[in-house]
Amino acid sequence: MRINILIGGKAGQGINKVSEIVSRVLTSLGYFTFNYRDYPSLIRGGHNFNVLSVSDDKIGSVESKLDIVVAMDEKTKELHKMEMKKDGVVIGFEEFKELGRNLNIAQSGALIKILGIDKQVLIDEIKSQFKESDEAVAAAEKGFESQEGKFEFKKLDRDVEIMHGSRAVAIGAVNSNLDLYIAYPMTPATGVMHELAGRMGKGHMVFQPETEIAVVNSAMGASFAGAKTMIGSSGGGYDLMTEGLSMQGMAEIPLVVYLASRPGPGTGVPTYSLQNDLDVALRGGHGEFPRVVIAPGDPIECIEKTNEALYLSEKFGCVTILLSDKHLAESEFSSDRKANKVLKVDVKREVAGEGIVKRSSYEHDKDWNTTESAEITKKFADERIKRYGRIKKECEKFQMTKLFGNPNAKNLVIGWGSTKTVILDALDAIDGSIKNGKGDYKFLQVLYMKPLSSKIKEEIEKVSNAGGKVILVEQNLTGQLGRLIREKTGLKIENRILKYDSRPFYCDELKEEILGV
Amino acid sequence: MDDINEIKKNLGTKEVNTWCPGCPNFLILESVKTALAGLISKGVYRQEDFAMTTDIGCSSKIYDYLNISGIYGLHGRSLATGLGVTLGNPNLKVLSFMGDGGCFDEGIAHFMHAGRYNADMTLIVHDNQSFSLTTGQPTATSQEGYISKASPLGDADFPLNPIKVALAAGIGFIARCNARDFKHTAEILEKAIQHKGFSYVEIIQDCLIFNKNVNNKDDRMYKIENNSDKKKAEKIAGEYDYNNGHGKGKIALGVIYSEDKPALYEKWEQLKALKEKGVGWKG
Ligand SMILES: Cc1ncc(C[n+]2csc(CCOP(=O)(O)OP(=O)(O)O)c2C)c(N)n1
Ligand code: SF4
Repeated sequence: MRINILIGGKAGQGINKVSEIVSRVLTSLGYFTFNYRDYPSLIRGGHNFNVLSVSDDKIGSVESKLDIVVAMDEKTKELHKMEMKKDGVVIGFEEFKELGRNLNIAQSGALIKILGIDKQVLIDEIKSQFKESDEAVAAAEKGFESQEGKFEFKKLDRDVEIMHGSRAVAIGAVNSNLDLYIAYPMTPATGVMHELAGRMGKGHMVFQPETEIAVVNSAMGASFAGAKTMIGSSGGGYDLMTEGLSMQGMAEIPLVVYLASRPGPGTGVPTYSLQNDLDVALRGGHGEFPRVVIAPGDPIECIEKTNEALYLSEKFGCVTILLSDKHLAESEFSSDRKANKVLKVDVKREVAGEGIVKRSSYEHDKDWNTTESAEITKKFADERIKRYGRIKKECEKFQMTKLFGNPNAKNLVIGWGSTKTVILDALDAIDGSIKNGKGDYKFLQVLYMKPLSSKIKEEIEKVSNAGGKVILVEQNLTGQLGRLIREKTGLKIENRILKYDSRPFYCDELKEEILGV
Repeated sequence: MDDINEIKKNLGTKEVNTWCPGCPNFLILESVKTALAGLISKGVYRQEDFAMTTDIGCSSKIYDYLNISGIYGLHGRSLATGLGVTLGNPNLKVLSFMGDGGCFDEGIAHFMHAGRYNADMTLIVHDNQSFSLTTGQPTATSQEGYISKASPLGDADFPLNPIKVALAAGIGFIARCNARDFKHTAEILEKAIQHKGFSYVEIIQDCLIFNKNVNNKDDRMYKIENNSDKKKAEKIAGEYDYNNGHGKGKIALGVIYSEDKPALYEKWEQLKALKEKGVGWKG
C-alpha cells in the first residue's frame, strides 16, 4: 500500500508540523515515509507545500497523484485539485477556523483518523511534541473526530528512522569527531550549519565568519593547527571559495567541503533542487591537484560518506568535496538500515606548536620555503600525481559504486546523488526489478565521482555488448555524470533522461520516462 | 636563557633574500626577530609557540626568512588564515603579515571584522602605499594624484586612513611604527604580541622603487606615550591623512590606542578549555 498526501499553505502556517507529526506516527508504526518540501524563497505568505508519501515498503520518492490534500488555505485547493485521484479526500481549514494557530494540529488529527490509526497514538505524539499542552490535544481530538477512517495503517514489526541529508551529514561529522565547522549561510547548505550548531554541546565548534572567502582561508588556518575542519556552502558561496581550494592543492592542508547545490547559474532558483554542480565540484580552483568528490544518495550514505571524506582528507592532506543538493539535504527520508562502522579520523601529522611546521601556496622546496626552480616545480607536480594514485587506491576500499537489482538484468540505469532513491522506486514500479531482483533493470549508483570506479565501464560494456539499454538519469541540463564517464572511459551513453526544471522527479514520471526509452 | 643573538640567529633561515637592496623590509625583519627573541629569552614563549600567516606581496616574503611555523597564504587573506590558526589552537601566538594592498584593498572585509572577533593575534601591515610586487599600482592608502603605470593621470581617489578605520572597527590595540626606527618597532611589536586579543601594528615602510613621492617623512614623525583614551586616539589619527602631497600633518608613532576586551578564546567555551589545557584540538 502506498499513498501520497499533499499539505499546503502559506509560509509560517506550519505545514512542516503536519508532515512531522504524521510521519513520526507512521514510522513509529513501522511504515516508510518520504517527505518532499516545496517552498519559494520567502519567509511569510506565498504558497508552500509538502508531499508526504507513505508505504509499507521502502520508498524514497513521491508520486504525482494525490490521495489526500490537506489545505490550509484556498490557494492549496485551487492549485492541487487537478493532482487528486478520483476518490481523493480534502482536509479543509474552514471548519477549524476558531482554532487559530492550532489549525495544523487539528488537520494532523484529521489525517491520522483517515489513515485508520488509533486515537491514543495521536494523543501520545501530540503530548510529546507540545509539552502536554491541553490546547494542542483538544485541537488534535477535534480534527480526529471530524473525519471517517479510510485506510488501515496497522502496526508493523520494523524499526524505521526519519532523517534528512543535512542532519545525516552533521551526524557523520560528529561521528568522525569533527572539531570545527566553519560556514557562511547559504541555502541549501545551511541545514548542516544549524544541525552542527545545535549539537555544539558535544565538544565541536561552529563558527560563522564574514565571507565564504574567510571561511575557506580560516579553515585552512585551523586545519593547519591540527583541528579536524569542515566547511560548507552552495553555488556562489562555493565559487568564492575556489581560490582557497586551489591553495589547498599546493599547501596540502586537509580540508572537507560540503557543497549542497541549488539551481544556477547565478542566484538561480535558491530553494529548489538541481544536480548542476558536479562540474564545478570536480574542477573548481586553478591548477592541477588531487581531490576527491563524493556524492551520497541518501541520509545513511551521508553519514558514512562524511566520515570517509574526513578520513581521506586527513590521511592524504587533500581536499574532499561532499556533494549534495537541496532535495537530499532537506527532504525527509526514512530507513531501516544502520550506518556502517565509523572510521577513526586521526590527526597524526606534526602540527604548529609541536615543532616548526610550514605550509605554502607557492611552489616550495622540501622545507616548504619558496622556490621557482624548474626541477623542483616538476618534481612536486609529479609528486601530486603520485599522491592522487595513492588516494585512488585507498578509495577502492570504500563503496565507490553500488549495483542494485539483478546483476545480469538486461538494462542498466546509471545515476548519482539525490536521484538514487527515486530511480530505485521507479524500477520497482516497473517490474519490481530492485526488490525481487528478477526484473529487466539494474541500477548502478555512482558515489565516488572522483576518482571514478572502473566498475562503471565494465557495467556499461557488459550491458551494451549484450544488446541491452544503458540509460543515464540526472537532474541537470547537460548530463554532467554522462560527460564525466565519456571523458574517463570514451563511452557515450546515448539514452539520457534529464530533468532540469528544478523540481525532483516524481516516481511515476520517471517510470514512464524509463519505459519510453 | 640562550644568548639573544643566538636566538635571533635561530629565527633566521638560509633562504636567499630577494628584497631590493636597502629595502626597509630588511629592517622590519630585524625588528620582528628582535621582538620574538626578546620574548623567547625572557621565557614568555618558545620558538614553536609562534605561527605566522603571510599574504602575497613584497612584505609577505618574510615567510621565507623567518624560522617559525606558518602559512604562506593567498593575497588579501592573511588575516582570515590567521584567525583560523587561533581557532585551531588558541595557544599559538599568531603574527599575520600583509601589505597595504592586501590588507586595505583585497582583504579589507577581514580587517573590518578583526576587532569584533578579537582573536589573540597581531597584524603587521608593511605600508608602502603601493602594490609593489606587481610594480607599483595604487592601493587604498596611496595619495591622491599618485602617478603609476596603471594610473598615468594620477590616482583619482583619496586614501583611506588605516588608523581611523581601525578605531572605527573597534580594534583594541592600534600602533604605528617607522620601519627605519627598528628598535622602536621591536618594542612596539613586543607589546602588541603580548596584548590579549587582536593587535594592529602599521609599519610605515618606504618602497625604494615605487611611489617614492611618499618616502622620507621621518622628520614629521614623533613618538607618543601609550594612549588608551579613544578621543585622543581619534585626534592623533586625524593629524596625518596619508595624502602626502596635500596634507602636511605630524605622524605619531607608538601605541595610539589600547583597550582590554574579551579575546575570542574567552568568548567560546570550547576555546577557553583548550587555552586552559595549553593545547589545540589535536590535544
Ligand atoms: C587574488 C589575487 N589578486 C592579485 C594578485 C597579484 N598580486 C600579487 S602581489 C600584489 C600586490 C601586493 O601589494 P601589497 O599587498 O601592498 O604588498 P607589497 O608588495 O607592497 O608589499 C598583487 C595585486 C594575487 N596574487 N592574487
Ligand atoms: S619593490 Fe619596494 S617594497 Fe618591494 S622589495 Fe623592492 S623596495 Fe622593497
